[in-house]
Amino acid sequence: MLVAEGLAKHYGGVTALDGVGITLEAGEVHALVGENGAGKSTLVKIISGVVRPDGGTIELDGAPVRFADARQAARQGVAIVSQELMTYDDLTVLENLFPYGAPLRRGLVSNREMRRLARPVLSELGLDPAPYARVGSLPLADRQLLEICRALLQEPRVLILDEPTSALPREAADRLAATTRRLADRGLAVLYISHFLEEVMRVADRVTVLRDGHAVLPAAPASGVGLDSLVTAMLGAAAPAAADPRRVRRARTGGAPVAFTDVTVPGRLREVSLNAAGGEIVGLAGLQGSGHLAVLDAVCGRVRPSRGAVRLPNGVTPRSARHAVTAGVAYVSGDRKGRGLMLDKPLWENVTSVTWLGQGRDGALPRRSRLVERARTGLERLRVRGDVHARAGDLSGGNQQKAVLAKWLDAGPAVLALDDPTRGVDVGARAELHRIVRDLAAEGKVVLVASSDLAELVDLCDRVLVFQHGKVVDTLAAERLTEPGLSLAMNAGFAAPAP
Amino acid sequence: MSVPRPPDPPPSAPAPANDEDAATAPRPRARRRRRPVPDEAGVVGVLVLLVAAVGLLQPDFLRTDNLLTTAHNSVYVGLMACGMVFALAMREVDLSVGGMYAMGVVVGALLIREGTPTWAAAVAVLALTALLGAVNGAVTTYLRLPSFIVTLATAMLLRGVGLALAEGKQITDLPPDDAFFRVLGGGELLGVPNAVWVFAAAVAALTVLFTRTRFGARVRAIGSNPEAAEFGGLPIARTRIAALALSGLMAGFAAVLALAFFIAGDPTIGQGYELTAIAAAIIGGTPLKGGLGSVLGAAAGCLILGVVTAALVFFEVPINWTTFATGGVILVAVGAAPLLRRVRELRGPRTARP
Repeated sequence: MLVAEGLAKHYGGVTALDGVGITLEAGEVHALVGENGAGKSTLVKIISGVVRPDGGTIELDGAPVRFADARQAARQGVAIVSQELMTYDDLTVLENLFPYGAPLRRGLVSNREMRRLARPVLSELGLDPAPYARVGSLPLADRQLLEICRALLQEPRVLILDEPTSALPREAADRLAATTRRLADRGLAVLYISHFLEEVMRVADRVTVLRDGHAVLPAAPASGVGLDSLVTAMLGAAAPAAADPRRVRRARTGGAPVAFTDVTVPGRLREVSLNAAGGEIVGLAGLQGSGHLAVLDAVCGRVRPSRGAVRLPNGVTPRSARHAVTAGVAYVSGDRKGRGLMLDKPLWENVTSVTWLGQGRDGALPRRSRLVERARTGLERLRVRGDVHARAGDLSGGNQQKAVLAKWLDAGPAVLALDDPTRGVDVGARAELHRIVRDLAAEGKVVLVASSDLAELVDLCDRVLVFQHGKVVDTLAAERLTEPGLSLAMNAGFAAPAP
Repeated sequence: MSVPRPPDPPPSAPAPANDEDAATAPRPRARRRRRPVPDEAGVVGVLVLLVAAVGLLQPDFLRTDNLLTTAHNSVYVGLMACGMVFALAMREVDLSVGGMYAMGVVVGALLIREGTPTWAAAVAVLALTALLGAVNGAVTTYLRLPSFIVTLATAMLLRGVGLALAEGKQITDLPPDDAFFRVLGGGELLGVPNAVWVFAAAVAALTVLFTRTRFGARVRAIGSNPEAAEFGGLPIARTRIAALALSGLMAGFAAVLALAFFIAGDPTIGQGYELTAIAAAIIGGTPLKGGLGSVLGAAAGCLILGVVTAALVFFEVPINWTTFATGGVILVAVGAAPLLRRVRELRGPRTARP
């Protein structure tokens, strides 16, 4: 179907891709994996026409093609769903599905026609949104699926899914994996990019591993490679981080806790009591809307309980986001572009922003060199690759995520609230971030982690609280804390708890 | 909080060694440490070129008294433009400065006519405009309305109050021999009108405020990423109120200087100044999307507009074409800025990443 050969791309002096070839067959799911910076996104951009290669050829059905831009690629049947959500949040579901070329009737947009065209595609993905709902009001998972619908409505022959599940909860990710399979069976050629290796193994027929711009494992049948060999191929010689043996779990309680007493947040939490001691890493798991994220919101002062009390280690009850920050709560979000960083500002301004601008320390008119120096120390401590004067937007995802952490550590927090802290981060950086978080817990901080990545919760946490319908339904620790166990606890239909 | 703060660098390390330290850090990167040309340089350069070009064709234009008059005429909008930088840099806008200016002039004139000591009246005008600017901010914050709408409304309210108080007429019969009028209106220091000195001092003070202080950094951080600012615990409401109060205060300074110069309170003064001030700020490199800004740039932008207006007189362009020409200049200047930036990026490509 699509055959690319010898693709090369250089940015300035940096070689992003060096003679990579890939063949996408109709009816096959071809997975593309590699660390951040391995060249995945460059390859995807070339195939989808966003970037023109410096060398190499692309053939579509045997005929050589040259895409001038993404629209031309789309016309030729190459559709892409990119990692970043590209929905128009203020427009309706239908308008989002037909962003260009909505069907017309007598020169006006025909809603009826749009609905007719959209219905089969929506139901194929198991989506049933109100057609005139504003997309911004839909849950994240549905928005991601809508984007796939939009791509499918172009009736593509080649579908590229770039990190389609990085923002999805488990259940939606599974649904998407099944859908991907079905699409391939219908004769589509699918290129599937993901950081979740297990997911890759489940969905893909073939796997190509990129490292430093080379295809180190080209088009291997997925059934023939194991997880270990994938990881080895991705990381090359520097593999040990991912094979990190499971650490010994022990309760290192002792520090002052974050305590919830019968906390009720209307519509989100019902009489939740919990206690997370200093030194402990407590996971928060649940399906979307089950209330686990409301715990983070309450700790960070973004919602205030209607009943019950939230106590931070210093005895304070957070009244607002700002109050929580001054009281020593750090909120590290996986949404580093939206909630974490000022992308147009240098790293040092980002790193010192919570301490200087949020908590109001360092004086009204500090010496700039002192702030820069402190930022440099903080960044070096987390081994961020990037100069303090570099724009935050120029860093890779993993380094941006570390910079977000550095900015919060600069403020000397007592509580870390981590919300999907390694979303879209490569295996190496993920392991490093986990190590840092463990070290921080060992210093006596309270760590609360919510994550859509169950493996992360299993790796990182001392215990995981599982939420359903605003209540804690189970607590997993020690040998019960496994991925299947978590998945089961999150999805199992617990009987409505007795009052 | 038990966390050890990262220690300050040991005092023994001499400051210039920093660069080398970083260069030997793990994985050295292609670094662009050389200080980039400040954004203001372009606008100031354009201003100088413009003055030189006009002077080449009309040598009389370069006479000191003409240049000073031109600068003096730009002081009023210039002060507002400098205040506007703070509003724009945090993704707000203050459309009320024109109305604020007119109201300030009228109130000051009335106070003086009713016998208030002149300097006290000036201080009262400043306090009033700062307060009303803060009200702009408070209404914007607590009614959760865009500042565009709020200040559009208050612009009319303030101008309306000015008109009503003055009963639609100029307020005259003020004591022109009073020290206030002599010093701020006609007074000079080293041959330069005092109003221009006030303007220069304001530009200097606001530049420091914008680039070096916590308040300025907060304004820029909020404009750069409001969501991250909120999560980072920045006092967004307070900063917004302070920024709009500052914008009002600058209109108040403009009003005091205008009152001293014209020795009269004209309620119809300053029509459309808010838009000129916004244009000057944008010409000076403060984008509407916030996060950035330059007080010096806004002042230079304002002087560019002033020079054009003055030059038109020298070229004997009919007065009725002045507005047309100003519009053209704004379009050219605002359009030229992105072009210049693109040229600069082409010359010094940033380190790309795969």
